[in-house]
Amino acid sequence: MGKPIKIVLAGEGGQGVQSVAEILAEAANEKGREALYIPNFGVEQRGGVSVAYLQIGDEAIGAPKFQIGDIVIALSDRAVIRTRKYVGPETVFVYDSGIENIQDELPTNTDKVYAIPAIEVSKKELHPRVFNVIIMGAVLKATGVVAMDDAKKAIEKKLGYKFDKNPELREMNFKAMERGAELVAELL
Amino acid sequence: MPEKPIQGEKRVFVTGNEVVAWAALAAGAEIMYGYPITPQNEIMHYWTRMIPKYGRRFLQTEDELSAGFTTVGGVLAGRRAFTATAGPGNTLMQEPISMAEAMRLPIVVVVQQRGGPSTATVIYSQQEVTLTTLGGNGEGLRVVYSTATHQELFDYTIKSFNTAWKYRFPTFVLGDGYQAKMRESLTFYDPAERGIEMVPTDAYVGRPGMPGVDRPPKHMRNTYNMEEELYEVLQGYLADFAKAAPEIAEHETFDTEDADLVIISHGVVSRACKMAVRDLREQGYKVGYFRPITLRPMPEKELQEVAGKAKQLLVVESAQGQLARLVKEVIYGSTAEMLSLFKPGVGITSEEVIARVKEIKG
Repeated sequence: MGKPIKIVLAGEGGQGVQSVAEILAEAANEKGREALYIPNFGVEQRGGVSVAYLQIGDEAIGAPKFQIGDIVIALSDRAVIRTRKYVGPETVFVYDSGIENIQDELPTNTDKVYAIPAIEVSKKELHPRVFNVIIMGAVLKATGVVAMDDAKKAIEKKLGYKFDKNPELREMNFKAMERGAELVAELL
Repeated sequence: MPEKPIQGEKRVFVTGNEVVAWAALAAGAEIMYGYPITPQNEIMHYWTRMIPKYGRRFLQTEDELSAGFTTVGGVLAGRRAFTATAGPGNTLMQEPISMAEAMRLPIVVVVQQRGGPSTATVIYSQQEVTLTTLGGNGEGLRVVYSTATHQELFDYTIKSFNTAWKYRFPTFVLGDGYQAKMRESLTFYDPAERGIEMVPTDAYVGRPGMPGVDRPPKHMRNTYNMEEELYEVLQGYLADFAKAAPEIAEHETFDTEDADLVIISHGVVSRACKMAVRDLREQGYKVGYFRPITLRPMPEKELQEVAGKAKQLLVVESAQGQLARLVKEVIYGSTAEMLSLFKPGVGITSEEVIARVKEIKG
């Protein structure tokens, strides 16, 4: 019981943050938990920073947006600048270590600021297209909002038709999720 | 006979626009007329995607004036018809809605509020309250349900068809861009399986038989030659509305019995206020919660009771006092202090409501 976990995911259009939020929310819903997901729609749909607000809990969820996130993940320089206002003293702030010249822009009101090499890992070990799934794994590990297996089921539900045509994609997605979790596990 | 769109009960996780389309299907709506405007576009997208299987219809018109008037036409022909719009589209639609008021036509309109004035934002607001409750040239002879959750969006979209056809006043479901676009869980159901009987529809025009011979002629008017003619007709309408109002009015409230301060809000903002009241109670603040579900007619008696007991009323809304004006009209004479948290065109979080109450209470 208690308050829902509040998550902010932000990145450039096309980085897939909305898909991550949606799949996580659906996975939570499948397990009978309460979830509320709202994208920042508006002009961001046409380029610019895309922000997803996600709340997962066990009771009916309040306002769709919130002021302070439990975990805030920013995947580009603009996303860092855009989302640092959602950071409070208890917030876990995660950004990609590949973002350049961002040190001065990072939030200073929490000491839980972590860089993960998600972009690098996706390029070198897997494939750039599963970058967002690495992020999903990271969120799962950092928050425990849904079990890894349930998230995999949710991905399967969403992308199963693609996996059936190309089973390697399934492997790559699941591997990406596990790698994302590992990247966070090393930090926490 | 096509199968029912929803069989049994089904927990789903969808956007609010999708909820509206499903609810209209479940309610047996026969035709939607519409013109695209964000953030309600997906209502017609989902509707058009689903209807071929169920034999329902859709007409895209050239603008919202036309969408409103064709909805009026659908109802005149006895069809359970609806439309959906937002922002500047809602402004245009007031003309046909006013005609529906004049002829007592049960059109159903879903509004997903966006920022205003004018084009403003495509995102969110609660700034279409005045327009939706009292728009048009007339007396606001209409029913407005302001929903807060996806479950309510489903429930009240179904209910709006019954309210409209039972009382013969235009009926609105007032949502907003957040509700339109967010996803949360709810339960879809077939109204009949829950014991909800859909009020039957019938045609205003084109009935069988020779007018004046087989049946009395139908004379529908939205124009009058003399002041007194209009006055007499309106007296009848106003009396009907006043009689129906207590039957239609709905509200939600808790913790007002011993409250010094009662927070009044509607729609999606009431979610933040509900959480805020629970939090503040835990912290020892004597606060209460009141939410009109119908903004037209307002739950007058219940609101007056609350205003008679509380020392302070805090109206919270994503508009500059549009709900507050409706509240003040109802509680005229109350000595409760009126306080506000107005954020026109912007969402309100429970943290902000809590901070405002603490600021008031010192």
